[in-house]
Amino acid sequence: MMGRTEIPPGTLYLLILKTLEAGPRHGYGIAERIQQLSDDVLTVEEGSLYPALQRMLIKGWVVGEWRQSDNNRRARYYRLTLAGRKQLGLELSEFQKVMAAITRVIQTA
Amino acid sequence: MQRLGELWRRLKFIFRRGKFQRELQEEMQFHLEMKARTLRDAGMAPGEAGPAAQRRFGNTLLLRETSREAWGWNLLETILQDVRYGFRQLRRNPGFTLVAVLTLALGIGANTAVFTLMDAVMLKSLPVTDPQQLYSLGADDNCCQMTGMQGNFTIYSYPLYRYFQEHNPQFSQLAAFQAGAMSVAVRRSRGAEAAQPYRGEFVSGNYFQMFGISAYAGRLLTPSDDRADAPPAAVMSYRVWQQRYGADPGVIGSTFVINSMVFTLAGVTPPRFFGDRLTGDPPDFWLPIGTEPVLNGPISILREPGEFWLYLTGRVKPSVPVAGLQAQLTAELQHWLRTLPKLDEGDRKDISQQRIILSPGGAGVTELRDQYASGLRLLTVLAGLVLLIACANLANLLLAKGSAARVQMAARIALGATRARLMRQILTESMLLAVLGGAAGVAVAFLATRMILLLAFRGALYVPIDATPSLPVLAFAFALSLLTGFLFGVAPAWVSSRSQPAEALHGATRSTRDRSALPQKSLVALQAALSLVLLAGAGLLTRSLLNLQSQQFGFQTRGRYIVRVDPSLAGYTMQRLPGLYRQLRTQLAAIPGVLSVAYSGYSPMRGENWSSQISVGGRSEEGYKNEFLPWVSKTPSWVRVSPHYFETVGTRLLRGRVITEQDTPSSKRVAVVNETFSRRFFPVQDPLGKHFGIGDNTHNRDFEIVGVVEDTKYQDARQPAYATFFLPFLQQIPRGDESDQNAVDGSNYLHDVELLVAGRPQNLESQVRRVLVAIDPNLTVLSMTTFDEQVARNFNQDRLLARLTGLFGLLALTLASVGLYGVTAYNVARRTNEIGIRMALGADRNNVLGMVLRGAIGQVLIGLVIGIPIALAAGRALSSQLFGVKGYDAGVLAAAVVVLAACAAVAGLLPARRAASIDPMQALRAE
Repeated sequence: MMGRTEIPPGTLYLLILKTLEAGPRHGYGIAERIQQLSDDVLTVEEGSLYPALQRMLIKGWVVGEWRQSDNNRRARYYRLTLAGRKQLGLELSEFQKVMAAITRVIQTA
Repeated sequence: MQRLGELWRRLKFIFRRGKFQRELQEEMQFHLEMKARTLRDAGMAPGEAGPAAQRRFGNTLLLRETSREAWGWNLLETILQDVRYGFRQLRRNPGFTLVAVLTLALGIGANTAVFTLMDAVMLKSLPVTDPQQLYSLGADDNCCQMTGMQGNFTIYSYPLYRYFQEHNPQFSQLAAFQAGAMSVAVRRSRGAEAAQPYRGEFVSGNYFQMFGISAYAGRLLTPSDDRADAPPAAVMSYRVWQQRYGADPGVIGSTFVINSMVFTLAGVTPPRFFGDRLTGDPPDFWLPIGTEPVLNGPISILREPGEFWLYLTGRVKPSVPVAGLQAQLTAELQHWLRTLPKLDEGDRKDISQQRIILSPGGAGVTELRDQYASGLRLLTVLAGLVLLIACANLANLLLAKGSAARVQMAARIALGATRARLMRQILTESMLLAVLGGAAGVAVAFLATRMILLLAFRGALYVPIDATPSLPVLAFAFALSLLTGFLFGVAPAWVSSRSQPAEALHGATRSTRDRSALPQKSLVALQAALSLVLLAGAGLLTRSLLNLQSQQFGFQTRGRYIVRVDPSLAGYTMQRLPGLYRQLRTQLAAIPGVLSVAYSGYSPMRGENWSSQISVGGRSEEGYKNEFLPWVSKTPSWVRVSPHYFETVGTRLLRGRVITEQDTPSSKRVAVVNETFSRRFFPVQDPLGKHFGIGDNTHNRDFEIVGVVEDTKYQDARQPAYATFFLPFLQQIPRGDESDQNAVDGSNYLHDVELLVAGRPQNLESQVRRVLVAIDPNLTVLSMTTFDEQVARNFNQDRLLARLTGLFGLLALTLASVGLYGVTAYNVARRTNEIGIRMALGADRNNVLGMVLRGAIGQVLIGLVIGIPIALAAGRALSSQLFGVKGYDAGVLAAAVVVLAACAAVAGLLPARRAASIDPMQALRAE
């Protein structure tokens, strides 16, 4: 459990949206996926995941659907909406812009 | 679009909060299970995986809260929570809730009732079109009918009205209407109904157009109804149409006999319209001013330029500057006055000082407003004080309750509740109470308003003020409730939220110190102080009312009745009056029990006053100046009276003789004068046998003074009696100018019949009516009251103030006593343990009794120290309302102090005795 890194502020939406791009997932699945894809570097705190999901529901980026999970349990799956896809594009380009800028600063300084 | 969707989703959320909660819980449960499984798969012992997952996850409850907060309904939800919790608290303490709601209902009700009156009398405009465009010509409260200069002109003659109408196109409409109240006798032409007395008012034809009023049924008057050749038309009030004629459409267009003249009923006014002023018994019939000469016949004053009897109100065209119009009207008035044919030198000198002030006319003639303004302001203050006391009381109750719940509060703080949240919750509870109290208060206000109206308009059959709460009144009550809730809730909330968890949790009941003790005691002191102020005020006003009513009026009211009759309504001419008077006297005297019958132009304290200039020894007497009524009272008052008049009203003859049957139109012209008249005009000589003239000084030997009677108050109970002379009926007053003759002849018509009876004769009123109908079927009894009642009606406002202040004072005293009792009892309960120890250590019952009583009396003493100076200041402020008692009356103040002290002693003694009866063993064991 050592070496857990907090997700940089402002990028949680991006990560969730990106995770859901491939298909609907439940909350636990989202957290697992992010951790797994980041090779256990990024850990999503439940304390921020669920409020963030609620805010995304309000914004209309995702919708929640109750389905059977793999182990035959009822779980809420979050699915990207059209607005969510658009938002993902926006967040991505924004992130890349910032990333590029930060990289430039680090390299020249 | 995006925002709209968001709003929609948020809105849906509130209605699915329960489902949301369940789903969120399920989702998190699922998450935990998945996590535990993963941990187990990774090799953790099954018994440890669950708790570990839970630890990783953190506080599920908190997480659910934050997730919920995302939806933005947090505040609303906590408020709802607080409200629900508040209701539960209130239900749990029904006794407390009942006392609190009742207290509030009385406090808020009193304020709402006063506000209802304030709204109706002071704030509301007449129910007419664009009331802000209306202006009244004149800003004084002159009334009814007068001649001569007024200074600030307020009432006008018909010729003067027409003159203004022709010369002032700035008014889109300038209307005239009668200043004084007029009784009319009305019956339908067909059918045999007896004529009924109603209120009538002469108005110019454009009166309704000026107000922008249209008919509810039929049509209203128009300028063409004013013409001399127009068929007489009248307009009826909606109220009479409803109540008397059952809203029968057939009434409209039918003919009515009004004072023996036939009118066609043109139409009915709208329901809300009550005429040009807010007053008790507003007009029931409006008659065209053009019918006045026919209706009043010999005493018509329509064509008299110098008889002022009309109010003028006009609708000013938009964009006309009022100041300029006012100056123009003043100039026109002075010019017109100079053209008056007959004017004595004194008046002529004063013409340049005559002026017209335009005052906003949207509220109508504001006599009621002027009359009640100071009283209403006083009532507002009083009601406010009562509410303050009620607030203090409730704050105290809540403080006591809060102290009892200290342990609970401490526990909540220890469990993580924020102080702000606790304060909000306690405030919510007090707001809830306040709103409940406010709702009950509206009901109280409805009843109280009706009671106040009855007191304020004693003698009126109908008052056009609706006691039903209107929208502004309801808004006022609601706002007041919230303010009240905040006022009495904020201190307890603050004190409770300050409780120290540690301090409270160990040995809560053992501490002798109490955080809420100081605020509680100061509140009791404040209540005592305010109660003292109210009690002292009530004492002063009641004393003043008693002084007013029991003063030496110069007449006796016991066993006397006043019957209002107007022969001019029945079409009597001057020639028929002697016969009528003879019949009246003999036939009324024949009623069993009647000892003496008299009649007069008007009776004392009826609110009527006639005055004329007199001349003595060839010079015109300026009379005297009265600083309150500079223009009216320059001249002595006079009234025509019948034989036996003075004995019938109980006025003593001091010298000479009274008016008798021998004083006929053909005999020597005589007058009886009162003491003030005699002192004023014959300060050194003997008035008996002296002569004076009425009007111009060429007639200065017209009337010989044959008697002097004691001073009698006829109009203003607060002023000394006016200089007055009394003339026999039907003796002519010679005057140089014929044009005034009609008004002078009018004085020969009786308006009041006075009866002195033995005991309480049965059916006196119906017997009197029967006698009158037997003399002439058209003679209507306009009203019949005891002389006592007629006098009492002069003090409606004083009585209202005295009664309400008394009531408020009593209420305040009760609240303060309850407050003191509550605080003392609470303290005794809290200190049971301590008292037990004291007694165990040797204090006897008297020591304990004294200790508790000292505490209670100390608070009241502080209240007195604060209250006495305030009461003195309040008395000073009241002094203009008082009669025969100073604002700093020591007796009244002492009485208030004694009453307060007595109540405080009782309120303190009860818990003190309980304290003294504490059994030390039990008190200590109870811990």
